[in-house]
Amino acid sequence: MFNNTYHLDILYIIQYNAVNGDAMTNESFENVILELRRGVIVMAVLSQLDKEQYGYSLINGLKEHGLEIDQGTLYPLLRRLESQGFLHSNWRIEADRPRRYYVLSDEGRTLLPRLKEEWTTIVSMMKKML
Amino acid sequence: MSTNLIDTYVSEIGHRLPRKTRADIEAEIRSILQDMLEERSQKTGKPVDEEMTLEVLKAYGAPEKVAATYQGERYLIGPRLYPIFITVLRIVLIVTGILAAIGLGVAVYQTTLTPLNTFETIIKAFANFGVSMMIALGNIVFIFAILEWSLFHAGAKVDLKGLQREKEWDPRSLTKVTSTNQVKMGETIAEIVGCFAAIVIFNFYPQIIGFGYTTNGNWYVGAGNWTFIPLLSEAFFKFVPYLTLVWALTIILDIVLLRMGHWNTVACINSIGLKVIGIIIAVVMLAGPSLLAIAADNLIASLGDIGAAQIVLAYLSQLVRLVLWLAIIVGSLEVIKLTYRLIFNRELPLNIPIKK
Repeated sequence: MFNNTYHLDILYIIQYNAVNGDAMTNESFENVILELRRGVIVMAVLSQLDKEQYGYSLINGLKEHGLEIDQGTLYPLLRRLESQGFLHSNWRIEADRPRRYYVLSDEGRTLLPRLKEEWTTIVSMMKKML
Repeated sequence: MSTNLIDTYVSEIGHRLPRKTRADIEAEIRSILQDMLEERSQKTGKPVDEEMTLEVLKAYGAPEKVAATYQGERYLIGPRLYPIFITVLRIVLIVTGILAAIGLGVAVYQTTLTPLNTFETIIKAFANFGVSMMIALGNIVFIFAILEWSLFHAGAKVDLKGLQREKEWDPRSLTKVTSTNQVKMGETIAEIVGCFAAIVIFNFYPQIIGFGYTTNGNWYVGAGNWTFIPLLSEAFFKFVPYLTLVWALTIILDIVLLRMGHWNTVACINSIGLKVIGIIIAVVMLAGPSLLAIAADNLIASLGDIGAAQIVLAYLSQLVRLVLWLAIIVGSLEVIKLTYRLIFNRELPLNIPIKK
């Protein structure tokens, strides 16, 4: 009786580790990938705002390029970039309703080529490593 | 109906946002939702209805989640202040614990021990300790929350300065010799905590500086009438408004110094001014009437005989004089140090030569 319970406990522990271990690995993978994408998103957004765009058109434009960004990430990011001085925004009334348009500021226009340069260096460096 | 849903949804997000940015973010989300509905309506060839609105809102996310994305990380006590907060908390809790243990010892010693009142004494001592700890914890958290707010919440500029300082960090600063002009964070925060505690105790809880006894001779427990003997006289409490002003100004100066990160001429002059006022108050206290409110007669009831009462009183008045003299000496040394800093305002040489 004692032995049976003991074996069951061990089985249960093994099973628990197998199930939760997998879940943890997947979650960790997701986190690492999210970390990697975070910096790229800023660059992608700035690259699309040479001409002014409103939020929803920007999210669709990025999607067409294959980059799907969560709305909860994009809109706060646009505000942050604006408060850092890299973007300008203004409200405009279109078809009887207001839309907020974002465009690169002078600082943003100076930053973008430097980001591109940095990106090229990173890519060639990583290609050598991987 | 669908407009109502959007209004409710947007205001649900809005009331979780800071007042300053609320209206702007609400307008932006409303505009995005309308864009999403328009697109969906075009794709499906159906007019916008309640079902479609519900789908769009579901896709956009729960209001609390959406509001959180606009907030960033917020701290009551952030990672920079946390280690100092823990140190201060540990010291204060240990001191509170020691004082409570002494109090319990005195109470047990003074009580005629019976199983019932020993138990009562210990329970009361633990309750007092618990209450003192909660008050201490609350006050420390309050001070640090104000520091966090005034130092780091003030804006990105402070943060950027902090980052720049970290970039210029010199490993040689690990040796004992540091820049004379640098503000020492630990010391300054300890001074803020001390001044705050002094303001709170002398202005709001003067009754804790003294002691009480009951007519049956027990200090803590007993059924007799409770008598309280204040330790400090009215002559002392006349100085409290002036002392409070000095402590409050010291706190303000310390916060300014923490924000600047280094001493400058104006800060030096202000600090010297505050120290000199402190010394003058201590000198006037020393020369003036007794700061102690108790007379030997008051002590007889609890100590038993007049001889013991007179000895205790003599020690107490010597202790007060000693504290005042210490305040004058330490204050004067600080003034000399600050004057030196003011006149020779330059960096001390570092004691490790750089090898190239």
